[in-house]
Amino acid sequence: MARRVTSSSILGPVVATVVVTLLVGFTTDRFFLVDNLRNIAMQVSIVALLGVGSTLVIFAGGIDLSPGSAITLLTMLLATMLKFLNFPLPVAIVATVLVGAVLGLWNGMLTAYLRIPAFITTVASLSIFRGFAFMFNNGSPIFSISNSLTPLFYNTILGVPFVVFYVIGFFALAAFMMNYTELGRQMVAVGGNPGAARFSGINVKRIIMLSFVLAGVMAGFGSILMAARLNSGSPNYGVGMELSAIAAAVIGGASLQGGKGNVISTLFGALTITIVQNGLNLHAVESSVQGVVIGLIIMLAVFIDMWRVEMWSAVSRLGRMVTRDRAGERDRR
Amino acid sequence: MTAGMKALWEIESLTKYFPGVKAIDGIDLKIYPGEVHGLLGENGSGKSTLVKCLSGVHQPTSGRMYLRQRPTIVHDPLTARSLGVATIYQELSLVPIMTVSENIFLGHLPRRRGARIVVDWAEVHRRSSLLLERLGITLDPVAIVAELSVAEQQLVEIAKALSLEASLLIMDEPTASLGMDEVRRLHELVRNLARQGCAVIYISHRLDEVVDLVDTVTVMKDGRIVASEPRARIDLARIVSLMIGGDFRSHYPKERNLTTDVLLDVRGIRTARSAAGASFILHRGEVFGLAGLIGTGRTAIAHALFGIDRVAGGSVRSYTGRDGGRMSLFRSPREAIAHGVALLTEDRKATGLFMAFTGVHNISIAKLARISRLGVLNLGKEQELAREHFEKLRITPAASDSSVQYLSGGNQQKIIIARWIFSEADVFILDEPTQGIDVGAKVEVYNLINALTREGKGVILISSDFEELLAISDTIGIVRDGEIVEVKNAEDMDKQDLVEKVFVRRTV
Repeated sequence: MARRVTSSSILGPVVATVVVTLLVGFTTDRFFLVDNLRNIAMQVSIVALLGVGSTLVIFAGGIDLSPGSAITLLTMLLATMLKFLNFPLPVAIVATVLVGAVLGLWNGMLTAYLRIPAFITTVASLSIFRGFAFMFNNGSPIFSISNSLTPLFYNTILGVPFVVFYVIGFFALAAFMMNYTELGRQMVAVGGNPGAARFSGINVKRIIMLSFVLAGVMAGFGSILMAARLNSGSPNYGVGMELSAIAAAVIGGASLQGGKGNVISTLFGALTITIVQNGLNLHAVESSVQGVVIGLIIMLAVFIDMWRVEMWSAVSRLGRMVTRDRAGERDRR
Repeated sequence: MTAGMKALWEIESLTKYFPGVKAIDGIDLKIYPGEVHGLLGENGSGKSTLVKCLSGVHQPTSGRMYLRQRPTIVHDPLTARSLGVATIYQELSLVPIMTVSENIFLGHLPRRRGARIVVDWAEVHRRSSLLLERLGITLDPVAIVAELSVAEQQLVEIAKALSLEASLLIMDEPTASLGMDEVRRLHELVRNLARQGCAVIYISHRLDEVVDLVDTVTVMKDGRIVASEPRARIDLARIVSLMIGGDFRSHYPKERNLTTDVLLDVRGIRTARSAAGASFILHRGEVFGLAGLIGTGRTAIAHALFGIDRVAGGSVRSYTGRDGGRMSLFRSPREAIAHGVALLTEDRKATGLFMAFTGVHNISIAKLARISRLGVLNLGKEQELAREHFEKLRITPAASDSSVQYLSGGNQQKIIIARWIFSEADVFILDEPTQGIDVGAKVEVYNLINALTREGKGVILISSDFEELLAISDTIGIVRDGEIVEVKNAEDMDKQDLVEKVFVRRTV
């Protein structure tokens, strides 16, 4: 029984999401307004998509610090293609996703085949991608890029924003991949024990590379939403977003050692962060304080994850002691 | 020599239970100063549990221990240390990037007088030189530990254990990974220590090695002492029979399923790690045992066949169902698995199990193609097939939905064997398959080997346990420097032959 509780990785993040929802919901009267909920959905969407990619990389035993910068570069690229090169929208979208995949391929090649630690590779990429972003349009933002782009982000069906469907769609795909495909199984195997994976006939390098490519693809989709949301591209978009994405994965219970976690949990991780941010905004808390709060939440999540087993046994020990005391009382009577 | 002398440690009716097992059962033992006390017994006979009570790792369930006639309780390893008990386990606990003397004084480096936070390096080196000299160890105190041989590292370990005053040194199978010369050096050191008045408990399961060294031999079996005698009265033959109880072969279930159908024809296979080139033929139903010391290239041969190491030369023809005499030098484990070769590695944790996976997922991982179509897994079929393997191999049902880290070593090992049966392999390379599992599980592994050969599979068995190797193999290949120098029928060899072949010529 204890085993089941400690190994279920979705319960924690769901509880966290519910707790912060209740906290924010009961301390303000504006949280449950339709507009605010829609706002949260829009806020969470980009981080959630990046979170999918970060989770896959973490599952496979790596870490990706570059998706924020990939978003920066890709919004500039998309804006350039639409505004200056007059690409048709579908072509520009496909091209953006493909370039996203290439950025991931770059990270993956360096990490898997040149054996540069993922942390180093992607920190370098963080700098490189952002540098490239500044080469477009002399480093200036590109505004009002296309009127056909914004509906992709803002339109709704029966009052539900499109972005909700994107997020659900991508998480469903990712969950399917992790639970029902060879690739997903092999990814977790590589992250869990690369040595054993090699001896089990898995092409470890290829799997690591693929995890980064998929993260690049998710950055591509994320950048499209980003550009659609603001109808612009800017070398200042996406700054720090990689940390939100990793935080979403970590709050979702993905082990940074790799090989453990549940991709759906990342969605609840992203929701938790976003709702906390939303609550702080509703309470008009300064952004500097918000950074501190988010950081503390990440720490708490990792702490709980690390000590989950110990805490669970402590709780059950306490339970046993209580029942024993009661039995003792009965005996004395 | 012990007459009239007072015992350093006296153990009285010591018993230790683990859940469901009586590990040691009413042990009485006296250890005298200056005595080398050999503790013999098979794996699982209780030797390790006994010394772990002395070194504070385990708390005895009942019984008493006296240090110099005073009742003593050893609460933990730290207490043991302060009571003068130094223990050296098989696994080394050195920091590889540090020097010999840094390792020796790790945790209690001498400090400068007047500036306590500054390490007095001159003093460190002076004292470690002195210590090494006293122990008769010729090692450079400033050598980096990682650059030393395993044997030398073991000497450092001993020096480290003795850097604090010790009246009792416990050595748990210190020679398991050493060659003859190195063993001789270690024995000199042990005798030297005994002359200086230190008592030594020397655990081994290699009788031949211990008999010249020790003053007293104590033989354990099933948690009890079956004999404890001074060297003068040691009767080798009697002790052997006490230890293993007659003909060891009768303790092993062995079916002979050897056929004349060639399964694998290996000729002069070479890798960068084993230059000489190994040749042998594996038949259907055969267990081909590779005998040799650690580092002689047994594992290198396995890795070459499995596509782990790049093969530099030679040829392999396989006659598995898929390949009729096809050349099969595999460039990756993936290729090897696809052609029906399986490798159970010696290190279950590092290269075997996925600890976070359930048993089911651990079984299917090497051949997901069996349960998938176009890359999509059929989880129902996976469960069903895995269940069949659970039943067939008598793996605990708990493995089906909990992660394997909670399982016993025996169940874990059976899961890896199940993985390779699941992969539909024809050639099973088993590298130390019974390492670190209990006796009952070992027998199950032997029975599985029988089941494999009965179905016409071929097994290449690598084992450092000579009895197991002799009893389970049909054919034995002696490995030296990556070359198979001799192939013999296992039934025509006894243990003495094998020990001589493996050890003796190495030192010539």
